[in-house]
Amino acid sequence: MSNGSKRRTFLKAAGVGLLGGLAGCTRGAEQKTPADSETSSSGESKTVSIPLKEYAKANIKWTKYDGDSINIGAVKHPWVDAIKPAVPVFEELTGINVKWNILPEQEFRTKRLTDVSTGAGKFDVIFMDQVVNQFRQSGWIQPLDPYFDSGELFDESWYQPNDLLGVCREAAHGAGRADMWTGMPITVEVLTTFYRKDLYKKHDLSIPKTFADLRANAKIIHENENGVVGGVARGQKGYGMNIYIQNAWIRAFGKKLWNTYPSDSALDSEPAIAAGKSYINLLQNYGPAGAASQTWSDALSTMQSGKAGHIFADANLFWDGLTDPEASSVSDSIGITKMPVPDTSGGRFAPNAFTWQISTSKNAKNSEAGFLFMLWATSTPTMNWMHVKNGAPFPVRESTWLNKDFKKQVRAKYAEVSLHSLKNAIGDPFDPKYPEWGQKYSEKLQTAIAGNQSVEKAFRSAAKQAEQIATTG
Amino acid sequence: MNTPTQSEVRQGISVARLRALWNDYLPYWFMTPMVLMMLLVTIFPGIYDLYLSLVHYDLSSPSTMGSFAGLSNFETAFVSGDAVHSFAITIAFVAGALVLETCLGFILAALVTGVRSERMQTFYRVTFILPMAVAPVSLATIFRIMLNTEVGVIPYLIQTYTPFVAPNFLSDIPLLTVITIDTWNWTPFMFIIFYAGLSSIPDTLVEASQVDGAPLWRRYVHVIIPYMKPVLFVAILIRLIDLLRTFGLVFSLTRGGPGSATKLVSINIFETGFKFVDLGVASAIAIVYLICIVALCNVLIAVIGFEGVWD
Repeated sequence: MSNGSKRRTFLKAAGVGLLGGLAGCTRGAEQKTPADSETSSSGESKTVSIPLKEYAKANIKWTKYDGDSINIGAVKHPWVDAIKPAVPVFEELTGINVKWNILPEQEFRTKRLTDVSTGAGKFDVIFMDQVVNQFRQSGWIQPLDPYFDSGELFDESWYQPNDLLGVCREAAHGAGRADMWTGMPITVEVLTTFYRKDLYKKHDLSIPKTFADLRANAKIIHENENGVVGGVARGQKGYGMNIYIQNAWIRAFGKKLWNTYPSDSALDSEPAIAAGKSYINLLQNYGPAGAASQTWSDALSTMQSGKAGHIFADANLFWDGLTDPEASSVSDSIGITKMPVPDTSGGRFAPNAFTWQISTSKNAKNSEAGFLFMLWATSTPTMNWMHVKNGAPFPVRESTWLNKDFKKQVRAKYAEVSLHSLKNAIGDPFDPKYPEWGQKYSEKLQTAIAGNQSVEKAFRSAAKQAEQIATTG
Repeated sequence: MNTPTQSEVRQGISVARLRALWNDYLPYWFMTPMVLMMLLVTIFPGIYDLYLSLVHYDLSSPSTMGSFAGLSNFETAFVSGDAVHSFAITIAFVAGALVLETCLGFILAALVTGVRSERMQTFYRVTFILPMAVAPVSLATIFRIMLNTEVGVIPYLIQTYTPFVAPNFLSDIPLLTVITIDTWNWTPFMFIIFYAGLSSIPDTLVEASQVDGAPLWRRYVHVIIPYMKPVLFVAILIRLIDLLRTFGLVFSLTRGGPGSATKLVSINIFETGFKFVDLGVASAIAIVYLICIVALCNVLIAVIGFEGVWD
């Protein structure tokens, strides 16, 4: 065979392979995985990863929308990876065909906004986050209560909504701002503190209970360990960045974000400024030199590379990445503990919790079928399977957190700290203008972390802007 | 031989007329598709942008959507918003980067033109244009890592091999840092244009000035730079417009921060439009920006003039 013909053959084969690969990527639901390889969506063999009888117990008409299709608009997120192999079970159970539209976070947000604001209604199920009340107030998402009230689509005794963690139920009610369900919670994360057990042992440190303890431990490590900073945390601006941590700090100091929404921001209150000082001083004195531009992934990788004594407070979900020997050089030395409490008189244990929920838009074409998917995805059997059999670490059901197999899998300490924190957690009350004023407030905070503005000035200016944006909105 | 009928004669005349029409206006016919395309991609969006700037178009407030706003969007942007600040930052960024890129590009081009060996000239040409091949977002990611105070190679080299303390580039001197990185990325563009310009200078002109005994700097000031005026002007104008549109590099590197220290107008428009979903205010900033850019380019053309540029 000539070289030219070899090259053509190779190019043809590569092209076919590449197209096949791309098709596999874009139609993720059709990808073969160990779990769905034993699943048949149309044949007689009914061996599925979760026994269908688990769902048959429910007094729900699962097959009411047999033959329909639903479009899910999702962020590229571990939840998607965790649930995808189980989706054939849903398709088998309901006869509803599931189509995924998965995008990186920023691209998804733009796509979601376009979908709901233009009334396109392409997505029957959409990921929902900090914009929940902006979308709710604009009438872009539907309350789910009518579906709960429908006799055919919901069975309370089987679904057990009270098993959903309180902070997740609150998040799924417009972050506590609505008395109707704005979505169903799918994942939850809560602020915890990570520390280096080996350095604690070396310097004879004890687990920090208060901010003063944390500061003292960070100081000792920072001053005595060459090339290791006292700790890391998010400094980068953005409403999912530095203020995600700072908001919890403020609540720990006994204050809320608003005295009265939308006219009186509490950001310029003394406890809020004290909280800001506490966080900023920690970062400026014992953090890395570039703390102001650190994202959560920077904080994670600095800790993974052994260059930090603590992650002062961040998502408990870092646990997996920190203890994975392939990703972390200090995997054996990571400790996890609760977020500390301020030493002030009004101080309280109030870690932040963030819940992703899935909602349906007003113009969605198959909201009912979408609701069945939400119900199925957050039900106990699916939740247990995802977390016990498929390694997900973010259950929104208390029963899953208490499941022995789950606890064994994620390590008892992680489960114990996380569940305790989740039970005491407070979510951010995302008001409709939060994306806007939160962004401005995060800019001010970043300026203060960088040392380019005093904490007082930054917080007073942030309060003024928040009031202006919230009242003129 | 048959005589043509009257209708055949008429048909012949109309075909001839059509042909004449086609031939007489040939350049215009060829341009028509492009003109239509330009109307579609510039005039229509421009008018729509103007319309958006005059109405309330805040997606998060559907109750006021579409109502006439007068100049309130402009007021929101420039009185209570960050627009004035972002204009100031943009001017500093553009001026800094343009001066650096022009000077460095010219110096590099002059040095490479002076290299005698063809092979070495080719080597330098290829080497110097490499940075331009890197996409801004990739470049920003690479520099974010290289500038990281904990793991970055640049602070490490400064700390290890110089007596200086490495600054925190993205927090302490963010604007200077983005100007420097943009200069690294785009000096090759200026270099390649200036190199082409310098290569096109007739040898006789330079030789004549050498024979007259003009020192090197006089040759550049009185012979080479005046000859290069058209090239310099076009390169600066293109780069100026491009710099005014900078987004990806700075956004990926600093997100406009810390705080709003590197918030260029383009980043402000993006945040207002796509984060705060207020398309009315975003359009108002964009309209003012467009007017400023057009005015600036016209002033440049008026001051330097096209005279001598297109000769």
